[in-house]
Amino acid sequence: MQITSNDFKQAASRKLADPKVQKALRNAKGKLVVARAKVILELDNFEEIREDAARIRDFGLLNMDVLLEEWEKRATAAGTIVHWAETAKEVNDLVIEIARQHQVRKIIKSKSMLGEETNLNHALEEAGLDVRETDLGEYIIQQFGETPSHIIAPAVHKSMDDIADLFAEKHKRPRLDDITALTHEAREILRPHFLDADMGISGANFLVAETGSSMIVTNEGNGRMTTTMPRVHVAITGVEKVVATLEDVSSLLRLLTRSATGQSISNYLSFTTGPKRAGDKDGPGEFHVIIVDAGRTKILASEIREALRCIRCGACMNHCPVYQNIGGHAYGWVYPGPIGSILTPAYKGIENAIDLPNAATLCNQCGVVCPVKIPLPDLMRKLREQQVEKNLRPWTERAGLRVWAWMAARPRVYGAFVRVASRMGKLLGDRSGLLHRLPGAGAQWTSGRDLPAPKGKTFRELYARHRGGKSS
Amino acid sequence: MSARENILRRIRDANGRAGAATETERRSVLERFGSHPRRPLPAMDWEIGPHFRERCLAMMSTVDEVASVADIPQAVARYVKQKNLPVAGACWPAFADLDWKGAGLSIEARPSHGDDKLGVTGVFCAIAENGTLMLLSGEHTHATTSLLPENHIAVVPASRIVRAMEDGWDLLRAETGTLPRQVNFVSGPSRTADIEMTLVIGAHGPFRVHVLIVGD
Amino acid sequence: MKVGLFVTCLVDLMRPSIGFAALKLLESAGYEVVVPSEQTCCGQPGYNSGDRRAAQMLAKKMLAEFSGCDYVVVPSGSCGGMIRAHYPELLAEFPELGAEVEAIARKTFELTDFLVNVARIDSVPGQFSGSVTYHDSCSGLRELGVKAQPRALLGKVPGLSIREMQKPEECCGFGGTFAVKYGDISTRIADLKCEDAQSVHADAIVLGDLGCMLNIEGRLRRRGDSKTRVLHVAEVLAGMTDPSSDMDRRTGS
Repeated sequence: MQITSNDFKQAASRKLADPKVQKALRNAKGKLVVARAKVILELDNFEEIREDAARIRDFGLLNMDVLLEEWEKRATAAGTIVHWAETAKEVNDLVIEIARQHQVRKIIKSKSMLGEETNLNHALEEAGLDVRETDLGEYIIQQFGETPSHIIAPAVHKSMDDIADLFAEKHKRPRLDDITALTHEAREILRPHFLDADMGISGANFLVAETGSSMIVTNEGNGRMTTTMPRVHVAITGVEKVVATLEDVSSLLRLLTRSATGQSISNYLSFTTGPKRAGDKDGPGEFHVIIVDAGRTKILASEIREALRCIRCGACMNHCPVYQNIGGHAYGWVYPGPIGSILTPAYKGIENAIDLPNAATLCNQCGVVCPVKIPLPDLMRKLREQQVEKNLRPWTERAGLRVWAWMAARPRVYGAFVRVASRMGKLLGDRSGLLHRLPGAGAQWTSGRDLPAPKGKTFRELYARHRGGKSS
Repeated sequence: MSARENILRRIRDANGRAGAATETERRSVLERFGSHPRRPLPAMDWEIGPHFRERCLAMMSTVDEVASVADIPQAVARYVKQKNLPVAGACWPAFADLDWKGAGLSIEARPSHGDDKLGVTGVFCAIAENGTLMLLSGEHTHATTSLLPENHIAVVPASRIVRAMEDGWDLLRAETGTLPRQVNFVSGPSRTADIEMTLVIGAHGPFRVHVLIVGD
Repeated sequence: MKVGLFVTCLVDLMRPSIGFAALKLLESAGYEVVVPSEQTCCGQPGYNSGDRRAAQMLAKKMLAEFSGCDYVVVPSGSCGGMIRAHYPELLAEFPELGAEVEAIARKTFELTDFLVNVARIDSVPGQFSGSVTYHDSCSGLRELGVKAQPRALLGKVPGLSIREMQKPEECCGFGGTFAVKYGDISTRIADLKCEDAQSVHADAIVLGDLGCMLNIEGRLRRRGDSKTRVLHVAEVLAGMTDPSSDMDRRTGS
C-alpha cells in the first residue's frame, strides 16, 4: 500500500464530516466492542491468560532466531520450501519467481496484511498475473480499487448499498438488496476460481516452531480453499509470528478470536505442515513459506520492541476513541488505530507518519484490551520523544514547551505569568465566564468548544493572601 | 551473506546476543518443545458430552445421536429429508461399506469435487470446549470432503470427544506422532460478517454442518 | 501526618476553588496540610510531548519540594498518575534518585483515593440537592484505579443522587495537548461524551480532573447547554459549589 499518513489531519477531518463513514463506524463499534466484552466473560481467568500470552510472545521475541531455525528444520523435513526475505521488494520478487517457475497464471489470495505492506497484488499484476482476493471484505475492496480500512474487517467502511451497486456492476447481474444474497453471490462468483487457480497465497497468523507448521485463523472457508486447492501454496509471514509450541498457540487463539470479533473460536483454524503427502488425494504439490523481515528486526532492536508481540486482533483500534471517530483510512497505511500509529512510523520512517503517534489522548483504552499487553501509549510516547530528538516537531511547539518548562522551573516568574494570564483570561470572558475565540493553537479548541475563563486570581496568590503562606 | 544469515544475525544483535546461538539458548527452546507445557486454561468443569452438544448448537451446527455406526445412513437420510437436501455426495473411505443405498442415498467413497452437495467425514477427535471437529488430512481422510460440499456431515464417536484443544494435541502426539499436511479445527458452518458487520452463515465453506455422535 | 497538597497548574490558573476544596477536605479529615509554595508543574505536558529532558527537570523539582511530606495528594488523576505511574520510568536514567522516586510514587495519591483508602473518612462537609453523573478520567481510572472512590464519597453527600451515564469510562477527548493539536477529533469525542452525559439529565457532571472538566464544559456550552453544571468532585464534597460566592470568600478559610 502507498503511504499517505502525513495527510492524516486533512483525512481525519474529511472522515469526521462524512456521514456514511460515521454511520459505518458507529455500527461497527457497537458490535465489536460489545461482542468482545461479552465473550471474555467465558474465561474466568482472562487476566491470567492474558499475562501469560504476553510472556509467550516475549519468549518468542527473545528466542526468535533459535525458534525460526528449529521451525525451518521441521518445516523442511515435512517438505516445505523455506525462503527468507529482507525487504518488501524481495518478498514480491520471490512470489513472482515461484509463480514463473510453476507457469502460474491465476492466483487466489486469502488475507495477508503483510502482502498489503509489500504491495504484493500490485507487483503480481504488473508481472501479468491474475490475482483474486477471496476473503469477502478483501474481495470487495479489491473490486472497489481501494485499500482495507481495518485489519479484520477490511470493508467495514462500506454500506450494503455501496456493495450492492458494486456487485451489480462487476458481476453483471441484477442488483441485490440483501446482505445474505450478496454474500452468496460472492460465493458463487469466486467458486470457480477456487477450483481452477494455479497458486494460492496466504498469510500466517502464527508459525509453530515445535512442528514446523504455519497456521491461519479464518471464518469463511476461503483460507482452507487457498491452502488446499491450488497446486502451489505460498505463505508469507513476518519473523515475529513464530511461537514455540502447539500449546502456546492454543492459548493465544483463545484470546485472539475473542479480542478480534467476539468469537469464542473462529470457524476454521488450519495448521499446514508441508505439501501433499504420499497417498494424499488433495493438497498442493508444493508449499512455500517466505519468512520476512521488512523492518521487524529493526523494531526488535529498538525501544518499541513490545509492538512485535502484536497478534493482529484489532481490539486496540476497536476501542480507540480516535479510530472510532475517524476510521482506518485516515491513518494512511496498512495498520490503523493505536498499533498502526506505532508500526507505521516504525516501518515506513518516523518522518513519514508524523501525526500518528501524536493523534492520541493516551487514554489507554487500547492497552487495557490488548491481549498481549503491549503498552501502546508508552510506545507512542517513545515515538514522540524520537520526533523531538530528530527535530521533527514544529518550532512553535518546541518553543512553547521550552518556555513553559523554563518558567515552571522558576516559581516567581511562573507565578507572575500565571497571575497575568488569569487576569487577562477573565477579562476576555463574556458575561457567563466563557471564552469563545482563542488565537493560534487555541483556535483548535474554540473552533468546536467554548473555554471556561480563568477566575482572575490564581490559587497561589489566594492561598498566600488568605492562608498566610508564601506566595511566589 | 544470504538473506537468511542477515536476518538471523540482526535478530541476535537485537536481543543483545553475540555470535551463534549457545547450547543453553537452544536447550531452553528444545526443552519447551519437549515438555510443551499447557498454559493457564479456563475452568472447564462441565460434563464433556452435554457441553459439546451445547457448543455445537451455539456455533450453528446441528447435532444428532445414533447408537452405532450401522445407524448412520438412516440418520443422514433423515437429516437430508428434513432439510430438503440432495441425496448424492461423497464420503471418506471408512464409510464406504455402510448401507447408503438402503437409506435412499447415493454416497460415493472418493475425494470431493466442486459439485458435491453432501460430504460425509469422520473426525480425528472432537473438542467440547467450543463444539469443534478436529480433522486431519490424509490418504483416507480427504481434506476436500469437509470443505467443498455445501453440507458437511461429521461422524463423531462419543469416545473421541475430548475437553480442550490441548487434549486434541496430546491425542495426536500419542497416536500419530507427527502432523499431517493439514489439521483443520472446524466449528460450525462457514460464515462472514464483512458486510455491515452483519453475520451471514454460509460463505465459501459449507452452509451446514451436521454432527452425528455415535455411541460406542 | 503531613500531607503535601499539589494543586496542579490547571487548578492554579483556572479554578483555584478546587485547590481550596481539597485543602478543606484534607483538613477536615484531620491532616496537617502544607502547600509547598514553589510548586508549579509536574512535567506532564513536556513528557507527553516527547520533551523528556524538560519533564525530568520538573520531576526532580517535585521530588525536592515534596520530600518532607508523608503524603502527596493531588486533585487530579492525570497529575497523580504522572507521579505515581510515570516518574519511575521518567527518572530511570538517574539511579541515584531511585529511592526518592520510589518514595514519592508510593506516597502520592489522587484526592478521592486518599480520602477513602488512607484517611478513611466517614462523612464529608458538603451537601448538594440534585443529581450528578460522574465521568471517569482516563488516567485516574487506568493508571490509579480511581473508580469506586469518588462514587463512595459522593454517596455520603446529603441530598445527592448519582445517575450513571452509558459509558462513564470512555475518554472525553481532552488528552492534554491533543485537544489543541487535533481539535476537530477532540471536539467530536467530547461531543459524544456530552451526549452521553446529557442523556441521563443530571443536574451536574462531576469529575476528578480539571482538564476533562474544561473540555466537557466547553463543549457543553457550545452545544447550547448553559444549565448543566460541571463540577470537580472536590468542590462537591467540600460544599463549595455555590457559583455566586465571591472569589475571595471561596477560599474555605
